[in-house]
Amino acid sequence: MTGNHLVELCGVSTGFGANTVLHGCSYHVKEGEVAAVLGLNGAGKSVSLKVVAGLLPAWSGTVTFRGEDITNTSVEERVFLGMGHVPQGRQVFPEFTVEQNLRLGAYALRRRDRARYQSVLDGIYDRFPVLAERRNQLAGTMSGGQQAMVAVARGLMSEPTLLVIDEPSAGLSPVAVQDLFETLQEVHRSGVSLLLVEQNVTFSLKVADRVHIMQRGQIVYEGDVGRLDTSKVADYLGVGRLLSKTVLEAAR
Amino acid sequence: MSDIRGWPYENPSGFRFKLTKRKVVAAALLVAGAALPPLLLRSTEILSSSHALVLGRAVCFALMALSLNILLGYAGQISLGHGAFLGVGAFASGLLTIQPQLPVMIGLAGAAVAGALFALVLGFPALRLRGLYLSIVTIAFAFMMEESWFRWEPLTGGSAGLELPRPRAGNFVFFEHADYLAMLLVIFVGFWLLDQNVTRTKIGRAFNAIRWDERVAQGFGVSVAGYKLLAFVVSGALAAVSGALYGHLIGFVNSESFAFKSQPNFSLLLVIIVVIGGLGSRVGVALAAVFYALIPEVLRALQGWELIIGAIALIDVMARHPGGFAGAVRKAREKRGEKNARGRLDVVEEAEMPKLPNMPRPAGLPDRPDVLPGSPLLEVEGVSVSFRGLKAVDEASLTVRSGQIVGLIGPNGAGKTTLFNAISGFVKPESGSVKFLSRELMDLPPHARARAGIGRTFQQIGLTKDLSVKENLLLAQHVVADYPVVKGLAWTPRAFDTEASLHERAHVAIAALGFDAFTDTPVRNLSHGQQRIIELGCVLVTAPELLLLDEPSAGMSPGAVENLGERLRDIRDDLGRTVLLIEHHIPLVLDVCDYIYVLNFGKVLAHGTTEEIARKPEVIGAYFGEEVA
Amino acid sequence: MGQAIVSGLANGGIYALLAVGIVLVYKGSRVLNFAQGEMGTFGLFIAFWLIDVIELPWLAGALGAIVVVALIGFSFERVVVRHMGDAPRLSVAVATIGLLLLLFAVELKVFGPSPRLLPAPFSGLGYEVFGFFVSPTQIMALATAVALGVALAAFLRRTDFGLGVLAASQDGVATRLVGIRLSRVSSFTWTVAGAVSAMAALLIAPTIGIFAAGFMTGLFVRALAAALLGGLTSLPGAFIGGVVVGVVEAVVGQRFVQSTFPGIQSVSVMVVIVLVLLLRPQGLFVRTAA
Repeated sequence: MTGNHLVELCGVSTGFGANTVLHGCSYHVKEGEVAAVLGLNGAGKSVSLKVVAGLLPAWSGTVTFRGEDITNTSVEERVFLGMGHVPQGRQVFPEFTVEQNLRLGAYALRRRDRARYQSVLDGIYDRFPVLAERRNQLAGTMSGGQQAMVAVARGLMSEPTLLVIDEPSAGLSPVAVQDLFETLQEVHRSGVSLLLVEQNVTFSLKVADRVHIMQRGQIVYEGDVGRLDTSKVADYLGVGRLLSKTVLEAAR
Repeated sequence: MSDIRGWPYENPSGFRFKLTKRKVVAAALLVAGAALPPLLLRSTEILSSSHALVLGRAVCFALMALSLNILLGYAGQISLGHGAFLGVGAFASGLLTIQPQLPVMIGLAGAAVAGALFALVLGFPALRLRGLYLSIVTIAFAFMMEESWFRWEPLTGGSAGLELPRPRAGNFVFFEHADYLAMLLVIFVGFWLLDQNVTRTKIGRAFNAIRWDERVAQGFGVSVAGYKLLAFVVSGALAAVSGALYGHLIGFVNSESFAFKSQPNFSLLLVIIVVIGGLGSRVGVALAAVFYALIPEVLRALQGWELIIGAIALIDVMARHPGGFAGAVRKAREKRGEKNARGRLDVVEEAEMPKLPNMPRPAGLPDRPDVLPGSPLLEVEGVSVSFRGLKAVDEASLTVRSGQIVGLIGPNGAGKTTLFNAISGFVKPESGSVKFLSRELMDLPPHARARAGIGRTFQQIGLTKDLSVKENLLLAQHVVADYPVVKGLAWTPRAFDTEASLHERAHVAIAALGFDAFTDTPVRNLSHGQQRIIELGCVLVTAPELLLLDEPSAGMSPGAVENLGERLRDIRDDLGRTVLLIEHHIPLVLDVCDYIYVLNFGKVLAHGTTEEIARKPEVIGAYFGEEVA
Repeated sequence: MGQAIVSGLANGGIYALLAVGIVLVYKGSRVLNFAQGEMGTFGLFIAFWLIDVIELPWLAGALGAIVVVALIGFSFERVVVRHMGDAPRLSVAVATIGLLLLLFAVELKVFGPSPRLLPAPFSGLGYEVFGFFVSPTQIMALATAVALGVALAAFLRRTDFGLGVLAASQDGVATRLVGIRLSRVSSFTWTVAGAVSAMAALLIAPTIGIFAAGFMTGLFVRALAAALLGGLTSLPGAFIGGVVVGVVEAVVGQRFVQSTFPGIQSVSVMVVIVLVLLLRPQGLFVRTAA
């Protein structure tokens, strides 16, 4: 079963101090797919991503990446193993230019194979012409949508096999969300697998191949987007009677 | 005991707050008891003159450290230049007692006044600065004092210094170290009681809230600027008195006595003592001070090695126990209790949210206004707020009618919380008006708005997490604790009575919420859901007219959300209060709200009754960030 | 006036070095390093021992001192700061007070309380430049400070790791998520802080003459003022802040040389700080993030 699982959380518990947030949480991302984790505010979605990234230790359970047990591997090593990140709140480096942001994103790549840097950078600029235009602009002065683009591009600079994305659409205008959606789809087409945590249900249902629903620190539902039990999903997410149909049908 | 009108509950804790004769006698005995040992033992082998001098130093150190503890430990304002206040006090007392030959008591009073004045001057930057910025300013202040004012010979005698006399009572001079030690001990008891008065009144709670989070403090109606200055003034005055006492003990003060370059460097030594003792722990700090005063005497035989060992020990202690003595004790205690606590927490997490208590109008406030249900309670008109050129709220207007639950929905970043902040006074809009009960609020600070009857919760839970459940409920009543600060410091009957009624209200609220078992549990040890309940209790305990609730369902399970809906209806139907509610949980909003405003890009996109809004799919679409076909 | 500015510039360059050390540590660990000054004094004692006792050439002795103090910074980070990641920053600051006291105590124990004199690197009276008298040590101070500032700026801006150091102070988590170890950043900042502290001490020693334990206290406070003027997180700001403090002090000192009120220079520095903070609480050189 674990054969084609790129990353897998297995029975992970963790939390802060006396507060347990994840209670034996298990989910995975298959190679080449976009997997989303949905759930209400405070369900533990972002905390589970912190465990994937290595920012929070797992109190129990294991994390595997490309078949290797990485439960005790540091954040930085995971990046070198091929994990790219788009952190929560689009944490670009505001005092750096776009190009400096991208160069830092390529930190692992440049340590591995410095010669590739230029071609990867050119590839990114081809894919995001806006960033090429604004390569010398300070990232902190860009619009929210553009910063999201910088953050995604920075995550791709290390040529990761898995891109871990934490709530990219939060606070973006509908137009920017649409742009982001197209960006992520293209990233996916280029062969990178995505692990996505999102509040925005319609958005994640449009991007993802498969969704996990998290509730109070556990995965309570899992399924391919094409074959979801809409009433269950609506129930779990508290989207309610009113919205279930419209929202879920729009996703198809 | 204060009169609590219409009290619907019995006092379940049996809590009584009474000043008995026994307590008065005990206090008197404590004072006398402090003075007796040195007086009895004077000029015996056990308490030689040099011993008494060393012990006197220890008491002075403890006084100095306690004064810094008020500022740094309670209020969280860093002063790295407290040595300057010690110097100010010693020189002030010297100037009054040498030439005009005034009694030392007058000298000490003068020291207190001088210390308070200098502290006021230093406190003003603290209103704008935080953390390291503030600490550097305090260092620079101390350095300026020692390099210029303290060296100004006409005033201080410069390096020749001043010779401070010992106090006298009639013909008796406290010349013997043991006699002076007795006096110091009595003053120490007085200090200790004053310090207690700080921590057991609204003053200490306000300090603590500021230390934890200034926004939370403001949310509870604490005037942050005022209490910061108060912390500086009280701490500066006490530091100056203790500096003067120290000066009169060793009989001398000069420009180098409290200087940065001297040994000991008092400014840094006091910081070390307070941190080692444990920030905010009276006992820990006093013990650490005595330890620091005595240990060099014990280790003097080591000929320089003691300094090296002491420094290494300090580094080691900090690395192992960053919370100091008190922190280590607390940790050990918590470790013991953690197992049970965890078990208990999990059980209660499943519990339903209890009925919320109907608290009567607090004694200090005017009676409930007569507002006809359905008439406007809050009127927001054309409010705009910008951050760095970006309009977070753009000409937003809304009306909240009395006796309704009004929903405020919209996507993340739509400006909902910013609008809340504008209503409760945390941000200043560049235009518009906010009227509550037809009264303009725009020029009122947050604490005044809280007093006017607007209570609010925060998206991130607005509790002081290091304080216990009870302390938070007491803090929440800050706006109705209307005794003057001076009376609080003196613990007068008025302060006493008010505190008694606050305690009683807190206990009633805790009992009604079913949190008896957690009365003294620090809030951070509660589950998220429990914290939400306490937060609601904190808002209700002052019986506000209007409740602003910012995403109360965040982090709740579906069952708990349903339960929350019922409680919100209770607030409206049983308690007769009005609610303005920010919520992402659309079913909850549709379920409980009478009227809904939809916000996007800072603008009111639509508003109407719940039925009207529910019929507009494009509104819901905007909420989800895009058009829904 | 002009003469005062010249000596103010030279001293200011030295304050700037120390301020850069303070800012680097603050950026890397969010901590005020109280030992920043005393590490320099310790370096002077090492240099004194190497040059005066072992009789090495001045430059060799100075290099030795710089290396030793850099190692002290490195080890303190390794042994103490790194293990206090979750501790309140004030507790870490108190630990640095511990380091200050430790260095102080070792200096007293090994070298005693009597002041020492470090041989001067150059002899000679100095030169006239545009009509102002400039001593060789002043030239050395200013040249070293500027060279070091430029070199550090180049390293931080041009290398990947240097960028990482700057990134870490903007956003620690995002920095880790691109694969940069914050522990390395922290090691680097403390090591460099130690080295610049020793350099500052070596440069100021010829101007002041004799030194003893606690020698750098006054300089430390001035460097703090400089760092604060620069906004605490800006390295160029710290540099310019240092120069401003040096020049203000020298000019005021010369103007009020007759004054019977002592410490007029300290008062002037305090006044400048308060004025700046009232007008710009974020310091002179920190952009409010857009």
